[in-house]
Amino acid sequence: MYFIEQFSNWKFYLVGAYPAGSMGGLLLNIVLAAIALSLSFFFAIILGCGRLSPKKYIRYPFGWFIDIVRSTPLLMIVFWFYFFLPYLLGEHVTVFGSAAFALVVYGASYQAEIVRAGILAVPRGQMEAALTVGLSKYQAMRYIIMPQAFKIMLPSFISFFVSLFKDTSIAYIIGVIELTQSGVIVSQRQPDRIYAAYLCVALGFWTVSYSISRFATSLEKRLGTIDLWRFSLVPGKR
Amino acid sequence: MMVTGVKLTLLLLVTTTLISFFVGTVLAVMRVSSVKALRILGTLYVEICRNIPGLFWLLFFYFVFPELLPSEWGKALNTYEHYPVVAGILGLTVDNSSYVSDILRSGKLAIPDSQKEAAITLGLKPVQQWLYVMLPQMYRAVLPPLGTRMIHNFKNTSLCMAITATELTWATQQIESLTFRGIEATTIATVFYIIVSALMVAVVLGLEKYLKIDMTSITKSKA
Repeated sequence: MYFIEQFSNWKFYLVGAYPAGSMGGLLLNIVLAAIALSLSFFFAIILGCGRLSPKKYIRYPFGWFIDIVRSTPLLMIVFWFYFFLPYLLGEHVTVFGSAAFALVVYGASYQAEIVRAGILAVPRGQMEAALTVGLSKYQAMRYIIMPQAFKIMLPSFISFFVSLFKDTSIAYIIGVIELTQSGVIVSQRQPDRIYAAYLCVALGFWTVSYSISRFATSLEKRLGTIDLWRFSLVPGKR
Repeated sequence: MMVTGVKLTLLLLVTTTLISFFVGTVLAVMRVSSVKALRILGTLYVEICRNIPGLFWLLFFYFVFPELLPSEWGKALNTYEHYPVVAGILGLTVDNSSYVSDILRSGKLAIPDSQKEAAITLGLKPVQQWLYVMLPQMYRAVLPPLGTRMIHNFKNTSLCMAITATELTWATQQIESLTFRGIEATTIATVFYIIVSALMVAVVLGLEKYLKIDMTSITKSKA
């Protein structure tokens, strides 16, 4: 009975005070990771392509940006946004907003490298053939190179998603009430529940990351046979 | 304050890199060993630690670990003034070593089995097989991802501010709250992180060049 009582606030870990109050707990981690991933994906494609541009004045700034963000700790990026976004925008930014912003910038520059590696891994002949057929450079990129590069990138993207999901725990430091914060709050208010609180935090992160990485391994195994043109950006064409 | 922060950050970098390198190697050997119990143990450790954020391990070692110990020991740890640093080293090591072992394991898969068979044929003991034949080749094979991981670990040392270890990021926050000169302090810290990361990249690239072997000569002699 005592044991079950220890976990009586499982809902707080899972969704925070969600239906009645603000969202929190594991749900917030997932939302944060989903926002960061979906937004940063588009920026990553722009950054990655920009880094591969033949024009020096485009390639260098993009390269610098990616390298600088990649060699700064995520926590530092979070602080930059936390302190300086209000200066830039001139209005108050919530902790959730600044964490999301930082994760988008961080995710974009990490994924840009994945995009770049993926594009470079497509054989050169593909681009040459596409240009010979008479496609414009943009069309060749979009219909020939990207679908193939995407297939190569997919495993790295998923493992990056796991890493990004775990990194959402950093929002704890600036005070977002996500899963780690929920655990710490419970363990401080009810010290007798310290083990239960930390167990729940660990279990929450572990379950989600483990299932994503399991999915990634199964996908990697299947990738050899799967027809990825089905996922391509060309509707109806194979 | 910045200087003590830099010192502690570098201390954390060096200690966690060395310890997690060692622990990661042991785990990798465990995970590919022929003893089933060791294999399961190693895999269990890696699967658990890799899927939980590093920040959790830091908080765990800082808040929960002293409670798990007998009460006198726990009290001694809680009153020990450098305990945040110790907890930081433990937490970062747990996080990093699982990644290191995973990287090394993939390095083992890249080495042909004939190497091990040759080592056995030469009459080397298991320890010697690993130390003199397998591990050097494994390290060489995985140098680029291992370097990336160590740089990632260096950046993760900034998380130790959450457990009040007085490292660089903590120092910038202190300066911000004491003097409101957060912009200057954060800029300096960011530049420091970028410089050290760049240095680590240079070291890894240098090592790669230094340890490179001419693969064509080997394949030729094989043929």
